[in-house]
Amino acid sequence: MTARGTPSRFLQSVLQNGVGRYVCQLKRVSIIFSKNAQSSLGVREFLEDGVVDFAKKNQGIVVYVSPQSCRIPKVVAEYLNGNVKEELVTNKTAQQIAELITKMSNQSGLDIIRIRKPFHTNSPSIQGQWHPFTNRLPSKDPVGPQAE
Amino acid sequence: MSSFSRSAQQWATFGRSWYLIDARMQPPGKIAVMCSVRLQGKHKPIYHALSDIGDHVVVMNTRHIVFSGNKWEQKVYSSHSGYPGGFKQLTAVQMHQKDPTAIVKLAVYGMLPKNLHRRTMMQRLHLFTDDVLPDDVLRNLTEQLPQPRVIPRKLSEYTQEECDAFPRLWTTPEDYRME
Amino acid sequence: MVFLTLPCWIRNRGPDRYWKVQELLKNARHFRGRKNRCYSLAVRAVRRAFVYASKARKAKRRNMRMLWISRIAAASREHGMKYPVLIYNLVKSSVQVNRRILSDLAITEPRTFQALATLAQARREEGLRAALGDDREPPGVFSRIPQLQ
Repeated sequence: MTARGTPSRFLQSVLQNGVGRYVCQLKRVSIIFSKNAQSSLGVREFLEDGVVDFAKKNQGIVVYVSPQSCRIPKVVAEYLNGNVKEELVTNKTAQQIAELITKMSNQSGLDIIRIRKPFHTNSPSIQGQWHPFTNRLPSKDPVGPQAE
Repeated sequence: MSSFSRSAQQWATFGRSWYLIDARMQPPGKIAVMCSVRLQGKHKPIYHALSDIGDHVVVMNTRHIVFSGNKWEQKVYSSHSGYPGGFKQLTAVQMHQKDPTAIVKLAVYGMLPKNLHRRTMMQRLHLFTDDVLPDDVLRNLTEQLPQPRVIPRKLSEYTQEECDAFPRLWTTPEDYRME
Repeated sequence: MVFLTLPCWIRNRGPDRYWKVQELLKNARHFRGRKNRCYSLAVRAVRRAFVYASKARKAKRRNMRMLWISRIAAASREHGMKYPVLIYNLVKSSVQVNRRILSDLAITEPRTFQALATLAQARREEGLRAALGDDREPPGVFSRIPQLQ
């Protein structure tokens, strides 16, 4: 992949999330599944076992459970910044779906693209950036042939 | 930090300074090295080849440069106009008589990287034949760089005390006859 | 039918060739001219671009190191030292700061870099000082590793 052809961004977090207080960036999860399709078996198991625990543990996240007649069960996650992420959970076990939803709730909702550097800071300099007079002795004398 | 307070910092970091070099009794190659480093901005820790951070360099007294050896007679500046019979060759003396700034200019031009920035950098080089500089240049100058070569003094410029204090290997006897 | 991911599911519509072309043009959309929309031109350009990208991944390391070195050289000359002298003496004083950090320090934290340059200078003059009989170091500088007895 070429560097220009792929989108990229700098390392960032949403409003310094986690420094001081933490706000879960996931606001809404809809679990779309079928009541009788074979591929939704794992989802149905997850709904029986883990979804209530998950909703109780993460009170900031709204969990919708919508049974529809569909072949492909989905987990649709909506984040505070407006991003919507859709994951297909066809033939996944309850354990895998629980892991997937936990992962989604931990994510920030920013696009997953190439990060240019593994480090970033908003205030790169503490002592003040270098400038041409940093290491030069101060002088008031005029410069030039007339000064001599 | 807000971007407003940082913009002044940005201006300070990327500000251009003006250097003055006195070319009196200096070899043009040495002068050109100092010039080309500063014109490219290679003396700054923020150097990058594409960021155009070179400084201005003012060279005065280009009329009084010196060459070692017999370069004044033997060094040849060649050029070709592109037309038949357009090949020209000038020795350093002829070149210097034609244009007293040309030798330093060509030396610097040859030491700059051969790319599209070369002409831009050359525009920041200001050459003066004597030590009379116009006011708008004088006002900008921030620093005079030390000369790369120490100017040798003539015997006539030494005072009598200095001559007497000069250490001698041996003293001539009274009756020593100089040829 | 089983679709593991969303793109695979979308791809079940339309002919295969269309999707093949789209996959390739995705990498050529930022090119200039007809290369960014004509497959037969784009395929060569993308191949070339990928070759350049592969080579550049190696060349980047080399170029960045060259850039750091020229920046450190500029900064160390401001403190009256040449680049090899600075690096040699920093290694001798077992300062394990790499060139990337050194050049960053020279730009963003010039006082820290000045301190490192002072350290290197002290280490450099250590032998001369010992020979002159003045074995002490200048105040505020520890250029030797303290030997724990």
